[in-house]
Amino acid sequence: MRLRRRRVWLRLRGLTRPRSRTAGEAGRLPRLRLLDWLVLATATALVALSALSVYKPGGGELSVFISGEGGEWVYPLDKDREVEVDGPLGSTIVAIEGGRVHIHSSPCPNQTCVAAGAISQAGQWIACMPNAVFVRVEGNATNDTIDAGAY
Amino acid sequence: MTPSTPAPTEHENHAPLVRPDRADLTALLGAFCFFLSAIEYMIPKPLPFMRLGIANLPLLLATELLPLPWFLVLALVKVVGMSVISGSLFSYIALFSLMGTLVAALVMWSAKRIGGRFISSVGVSILGAVASNAAQVLLAKYVVFGDAARLIAPLFLGMGLVTGAVLGLFAERFAASSRWYARAAGRPDA
Repeated sequence: MRLRRRRVWLRLRGLTRPRSRTAGEAGRLPRLRLLDWLVLATATALVALSALSVYKPGGGELSVFISGEGGEWVYPLDKDREVEVDGPLGSTIVAIEGGRVHIHSSPCPNQTCVAAGAISQAGQWIACMPNAVFVRVEGNATNDTIDAGAY
Repeated sequence: MTPSTPAPTEHENHAPLVRPDRADLTALLGAFCFFLSAIEYMIPKPLPFMRLGIANLPLLLATELLPLPWFLVLALVKVVGMSVISGSLFSYIALFSLMGTLVAALVMWSAKRIGGRFISSVGVSILGAVASNAAQVLLAKYVVFGDAARLIAPLFLGMGLVTGAVLGLFAERFAASSRWYARAAGRPDA
């Protein structure tokens, strides 16, 4: 009853069409056209491809890669430690604890990176946009190309 | 999309409600962008980069309503609005916002014009969302995070696909049932 009165009121203000018109359309999904399906298929393929290229099955030991303003550092995931990384806003503190990494504190305004929680699987990442810090967990890379433990 | 878009007023003069002026329409849709940006900002997100893209709804609707110059003005209004609301106007994050929105805007507008009746808002919206997210991943790669940015891609593109599709479905439903929209698009709303 109340709903109906509301509809009449909206109708008077020209905000909805008469009930008979919307009733037929209500709850029905729009009909997708040719190019919609094409776009949907292409986008799905793109997502699948990018996922396949990142989440490769690979054993071995996992390492933590931390990149900040000054470069990139690599640490083993299985050793507890705290790392301070400098960014444009100040220093972000990254903690490796019990085989998991999380951002302990950050000078950024939104604190999304701290709220992101801990990661521990290959391919997972935490990013802090304002302070330009990126933490990722990946399987053993060729460590000789990276200046490991420069901190 | 009719092949020849009639001039804003002369065709509609007999109608009781005149088709809104393009500047007015841009202003109204721009205000919607501000409002939706505020809503977007209030929704908590577990990861940076994660965005629902609801502020793209006015742009999506505008692909049919506005000619390219006004459409680009609307896109810029959206960027400024988003940046003001999230407080990132004078930081490099605004660059991401600008890049993402401009790419989405151009892709959506072209898709709508080229696709014509073979594409609905769903396809246009998915294209825009995925293109905008892809552009931002590339920007992240070259500006901030370097090669590690490739890790962001799957989640980010996937999000674009899902949110783009949902937004597109909504826009399609809205366009089909709104009299305001029909009028703004210059269609008789009988």
